[in-house]
Amino acid sequence: MGNKGVRNLFVFGSFLCFVVLVILTVNTFSQLDSRAPKITEEVDLGKQLWHKYDCIGCHTIFGNGSYFAPDMTKITEKVPKSYLKKFLVNPRKVNPSAAMPVLGITDDEADKLIAFLEWTSKVDTNGWPPKPVLGSKASGGGTGNVAYEKNNCSSCHIIDGVGGTSGPDITHVALRHPDPQWHRKHLDNPASITPDSAMPPYAQLSDDEKNQLIDFLLTLK
Amino acid sequence: MKYKSHKIAMNFFTFAVLLFLVQVIIGLVAAVQFIKPDFFFFAFNISRTLHINALVVWLLCGLMGATYYVVPEESGRELWSIPLAQFQFWATVVTVLVVVVGYIIMGLFPQANITVFGTLLLNEGREYIEAPRWADIMIAVSAILFLINNAMTMFKSKKITGIMGTLLGGMLFLTLMYLPGMFYTSSMVKDQYWWWWVVHLWVEGAWEVIAGALLAFMLMKLTNAPRQMLEKWMYIEVALVLFTGMLGIGHHYYWIGTPNYWLWVGGIFSSLEPIPLLVMVWDALRVTKDTRSTTNKLGLFLATAHAIFNFLGAGLWGVIHTLPSVNKWTHGTQITTAHGHLAFYGAYVLLIIAMVYITVPEMRGVKEYRMSRGYRSFWWQTVSMIMIVFIITGAGMVQTYMERLLGLDYVTVKNNFNTWFWIWRAVFGVTYIIGVCMFVYDFFKIGKEPVTATLSESKA
Ligand code: HEC
Ligand code: HEC
Ligand code: HEM
Ligand code: HEM
Ligand SMILES: [Fe+2]
Repeated sequence: MGNKGVRNLFVFGSFLCFVVLVILTVNTFSQLDSRAPKITEEVDLGKQLWHKYDCIGCHTIFGNGSYFAPDMTKITEKVPKSYLKKFLVNPRKVNPSAAMPVLGITDDEADKLIAFLEWTSKVDTNGWPPKPVLGSKASGGGTGNVAYEKNNCSSCHIIDGVGGTSGPDITHVALRHPDPQWHRKHLDNPASITPDSAMPPYAQLSDDEKNQLIDFLLTLK
Repeated sequence: MKYKSHKIAMNFFTFAVLLFLVQVIIGLVAAVQFIKPDFFFFAFNISRTLHINALVVWLLCGLMGATYYVVPEESGRELWSIPLAQFQFWATVVTVLVVVVGYIIMGLFPQANITVFGTLLLNEGREYIEAPRWADIMIAVSAILFLINNAMTMFKSKKITGIMGTLLGGMLFLTLMYLPGMFYTSSMVKDQYWWWWVVHLWVEGAWEVIAGALLAFMLMKLTNAPRQMLEKWMYIEVALVLFTGMLGIGHHYYWIGTPNYWLWVGGIFSSLEPIPLLVMVWDALRVTKDTRSTTNKLGLFLATAHAIFNFLGAGLWGVIHTLPSVNKWTHGTQITTAHGHLAFYGAYVLLIIAMVYITVPEMRGVKEYRMSRGYRSFWWQTVSMIMIVFIITGAGMVQTYMERLLGLDYVTVKNNFNTWFWIWRAVFGVTYIIGVCMFVYDFFKIGKEPVTATLSESKA
C-alpha cells in the first residue's frame, strides 16, 4: 500500500471507529435512566454542592477522582445518615484526627449532599465495589463477638488495627471507661455522655444483646 | 532564527518549562500532605488540582510551541499571522494565571466558589477540567485561534505534508474533545461518561496522534531516513492508536453505572492499545540504528527514550489493570496513580523535552550545544520517576490486598500500612525536582555556552 492508501485507512478507519463509539453512546444513554433511581431536585442540588466543594479533589466516586480519601459511591450504606450529617458539617468535631478539613458546609447543604450520595449508592455499577473475598473475618471486625459484628460496630471502630476510623479506636476502651453503667448509658444515648455525639444510639437493642456488648467492651484493655 | 514565527514557539516553550517547575513543586506539597494533611496553607484538593492542571496546561503549551515550530518549517513560510499568534500566547498566559489565583482563593476560602450565571466561578469541581466555564471558553477560543492560524499557514503554502496534516488533525481532534466537558448534567453517571471523553480521548487519542506525528518529525530531522517511509509508519501508528483507543474508552465504563457490554468492548479494545506504542518503539530504534546522521545525540536519545517510556508507562502500566477481572479490584487505587505518572512522563513530558532539545538549538542558531547537563537532568528525572512509580505501585498493591481483598478500612490502610510508601515518594519527589531544576536552567542556556563537552563527558 502506498502512503495515500495508509493515510486513507487512517482517516476513514478512525472515523468509522468514532461512529461506532457514537452509536454505543446513544444505546448506553437509552439504558442509563433505568439503571439508576430518579434524580430529584434535592439530588441535583447535592451534586452541584459536590462540585462546589471540589469533593473530587480528595475523594473518588464510582472509583474515579483522587485517591487521598475513601470512595463515596456507597458511603450511605456504610454509615448512618445522622453520622454523615454531623461529619460533613464539622469533621474535626466528630473525629479530632480527621484529615478532612472543615469546609463550612451548612446543615441544609449536608442534607442535599447526603441525598446525592444516597442516589449514587443505588446506581447499578455492575457489582463494584466488590465484596472482599478474603475478608469475612476482618470486615466483621475480627473479634468473634456476635453482637459487635451483627451491629457493624467495626464500620466505625478499630480493635487491634481492624475496623473503620469514623469513631475512636476502642482497642483499650475498658481502660478509659471501666464502668459498665457508663457503657449502657452511652449505648442507649451516646449524646447524653458526649455532647452532640455522632455515634448512632443503640437503645433499640435487646437487654441481652446490650449485656453481651458491654461484657465484650470491658474485656478491651 | 530562520523564521520570525519561531519566536512564538520559544514563548510557548518558556511558559511551559516554568509551569513544569511549578507543577512538580506543588506535587511535592501534595505528597507531604499524605503524611501531614494540614502542613500547607491550603488543603490537598487544591494542591492536587494545581499539580494536575499545571501538568496539562504546560504539556498543551509545549505541544502548541512544537506545532508553531513544525508548521513554518514544514510549509516553508512564516505563520499566516504572527500578531494573532502573539495575542493567542498572551491570552493563554493571562487566563491560566487568573485561574490559578482563583484556585488559591478557593483554597483559603472554600465558600468563595460561588455560582455565577449558573456556573461555578473559581472551580468546576471535576478532576482535570477544574477550570471554571468562563476559562473553558477562553481556552477553547485560544485553541481555535491557534488552529486557524496554523491551518491557514498550511493551506497558503499549498504544501501539505503528512506530518503537518496529522499534527493539525490531532490538534483539531484535541480541541473538539474539549467540548464534551463543557456542559452540566444532573446525573453523575452521565457526567462521568462525558468527562472520560475529554480525559481518555485526549491522552489515548488526540495527544497520542500528535505524539506519533512529532516522533516522525523528530526522526526526520535527526536521521536521513526518507520522509516517505517515516510518514508511512506514522500513519500506521496513529491509525492503530485510534482503532484501539477510540473504543478502548470502554475501560472507564465498567463500573460507573453504564451497561455491562462495556466490560467486553473495553476489555478487548483497550488490551490492544499497547500495540501501536510498541510499533513506535520499534520504529524509533530501527530508524536511529539504520540511518543515524545527526550531531544532536541528546535529541535523538530523548526521542527514543520518549518512545520507550510511552510504551512502558501507558502501554505496560496501563494494560496490567485494564481487564475487567483485574480492574474490578484495582479500580481507583494507587495503582492508577502509578500508571498516571509513568504514562504522562513517558508519553508527553519526555516528548516535550525531546522537542525542546531538538528545536531550541536551531532556533538559537547553533549547530552544536553543550549536552552534559541535559543528560544529567534526564537521569535525575528518570530514575526518580521510576522509583516513584515502583513505590506507588507497591502502595497500590498493599491497598488492593488489604482494602479490596481483606476488607480493611481505607483510612486504616492509608495511615497504618502505607505510610512508608508516602515518605519514600516524597524523598524521590525531591530528587525529581532537582532534575527539573537542571532542565529549566539548561533550557535558558542551550546554545549559549561553549561546547566543551566531549563524548565521554556527555555520557555522564
Ligand atoms: C481536603 C480533602 C477532602 C475534601 C475536599 C473532602 N474530603 Fe471528605 N474526607 C477526606 C478524608 C481524608 C477522609 C477520611 C477520614 C479523615 O481522615 O478525615 C474523608 C472522609 C469523608 C467521609 C466519610 C466519613 C467516614 O467516617 O466514613 C465523607 C462522607 C466525606 N468525606 C464526604 C465528603 C464530601 C461530601 C466532600 C465535599 C463536600 C468532601 N468529603 C470533601 C478528605 C476530604
Ligand atoms: C457511625 C459510626 C459509629 C458506629 C456504627 C458506632 N460508633 Fe461508637 N462511636 C462513634 C463515635 C463518633 C464516637 C465518639 C463520640 C462518643 O463518644 O460518643 C464513638 C464512641 C464509642 C465509644 C466510646 C469510645 C471512647 O474512647 O470514649 C464506645 C465504647 C463505642 N463507641 C462503642 C460502639 C459500639 C459497641 C458500637 C456498635 C454497637 C458502636 N460504637 C457503633 C461512632 C460510631
Ligand atoms: C499516554 C497515554 C496514557 C496516559 C497519559 C494515561 C493516563 C491515565 C490517568 C491519569 C488515569 C487516571 C485517571 C483518573 O484520575 O481517574 C488513567 C486511568 C487508566 N488508564 Fe491510562 N493513560 C494512558 C494510556 C493508557 C493505556 C494505553 C491503557 C491500557 C492499555 C490505559 C489504561 C488505563 C486504565 C484501565 C485506567 C483506569 C484505572 C482505574 O480503574 O482506576 N491507559 N490513565
Ligand atoms: C513529570 C512528573 C509528574 C507527572 C507527569 C505527574 C502527574 C500526575 C498525575 C497525572 C496525577 C493524577 C494521578 C491520577 O489521578 O491517577 C498526579 C497526582 C499526584 N502527583 Fe504527580 N506528577 C509528576 C511528578 C510528581 C512529583 C515529583 C510528585 C511529588 C512527589 C508528585 C506527587 C503527586 C501526588 C501526591 C499526586 C496525588 C495522587 C493521588 O491522588 O493519589 N507528582 N501526578
Ligand atoms: Fe483510558
